[in-house]
Amino acid sequence: MEDQELQVKVMAVLKTVIDPDLHKDIVGLGFVKEMNVTGGKVKFQVELTTPACPVKEQLRTECETKVRAIDGVDSVDVEMTAMVRTAQHSQPILTKVKNIIAVASGKGGVGKSTVSVNLAIALQMSGARVGLMDGDIYGPSIPQMLGIPISPPKAGSDNKFFPHEKYGIKVVSAAFLSKEGQPLMLRGPMLGGIIQQFLQNVDWGELDYLVIDLPPGTGDVQLTLTQRAPLSGAVVVTTPQEVSLIDAEKGVRMFESVKVPLLGIVENMSYFVCDNCDKKHHIFKSGGGNTLAEKFKVPFLGEIPLVGEVVEGGDSGVPVVLGDPDSPVSRAYQALGGQVAAQLSITHSSEDKSESSFELAWKG
Amino acid sequence: MVEETRSQVSDPSPKNVRQVDPKTLEIIWTDGHESVYSVRHLRENCPCASCIDEWTGEKRIDPSSISENIQPLNLKSVGLYAIQFFWNDGHDTGFYSHKLMRKLCQCGECSSGKQEV
Repeated sequence: MEDQELQVKVMAVLKTVIDPDLHKDIVGLGFVKEMNVTGGKVKFQVELTTPACPVKEQLRTECETKVRAIDGVDSVDVEMTAMVRTAQHSQPILTKVKNIIAVASGKGGVGKSTVSVNLAIALQMSGARVGLMDGDIYGPSIPQMLGIPISPPKAGSDNKFFPHEKYGIKVVSAAFLSKEGQPLMLRGPMLGGIIQQFLQNVDWGELDYLVIDLPPGTGDVQLTLTQRAPLSGAVVVTTPQEVSLIDAEKGVRMFESVKVPLLGIVENMSYFVCDNCDKKHHIFKSGGGNTLAEKFKVPFLGEIPLVGEVVEGGDSGVPVVLGDPDSPVSRAYQALGGQVAAQLSITHSSEDKSESSFELAWKG
Repeated sequence: MVEETRSQVSDPSPKNVRQVDPKTLEIIWTDGHESVYSVRHLRENCPCASCIDEWTGEKRIDPSSISENIQPLNLKSVGLYAIQFFWNDGHDTGFYSHKLMRKLCQCGECSSGKQEV
């Protein structure tokens, strides 16, 4: 059979491969690249929207099996690549950052920082370039969790400064701005100023994902970020108890009122698995996060178990996803990373073309 | 399923923002609605804390104190949810949320269904 004829057949077959998140075929989505057919040898790339795609292997197998079944095909070589798409809205700051993810909760103590750190590392492990901004100005804890000693950030040119780096992740935190153990005592308006600095004066370089760990509540820092940073989406962290859910609901409503797409809800400390049995003990009730997600019709991104390793990881500076990547809790975080990346791809593809960032000079 | 899970989509955003003439602004929304505004009407309804009492919601600005020649110099988007106007009287502290902008719409359809604003 002619190579050209064969190529048409291959494309036709690939049109039946559907991306389960985007609900469209991979040819229509423009994922199939570098198609090359010579003497029955078929070679092509499938370019996904994120290296963290949770269905990568499933798609590869489906492509291979379907193409190999075509008459006249001797061999199939599928290369899976990824090109992370940029959010549509681009305010002049953070232009080299493709996606900005805010991790929030209405209430404190639900483990936002732990989730942010492990989410950032899970994304990084999938091959993406990741930054982490500690938005908790009064109680910065990210440096401790990543085991970064407190030292002032390195200054660059043009008033810019460089983030610290650890485990391949770029990190900015207010903890680096004062001496260890010294509190930063500031009034409200100063908070906005520091956040503005983090957004404008940090030389992040090129990033696929910038994870922002927000302080609890719905105050100054949250508002400055939603007004100044082109947030791609928000993740709301909750714990299963009702008191936590009440506040998580406020977090969800805050993002709704400022029109930041809600990527979904994560339930942290969902259950406890003890040493001796594999049973999941739901010590703080169960299903609260899922109920909240259903109420607001947003995706439920998963349950993170409560285990001692998470705390040890946070205290020792080696986050659990890195320290013990095969443990159930690490797998829960890796799944979360995949989910977040997938939801971002969905928001980008379904975004109606609103003029979300504009400036109009009035002619008198 | 995916489309239904996005509650934000139901809230329209500006799709096209355009100056019609020196006194009129037009916004076409993602839901297809076409809004028109006299710029004076927008200035009179500035939602900032010095124009509206934060606690009582009472209007603190006297419309007669606004100049005949009020016009924006510039307007721009704030985050994904609001518009900021820089007025030629030096005032620029109001963030007009998309929701407020829809409420202030003066197109034939909207003004006929509304009481005097």
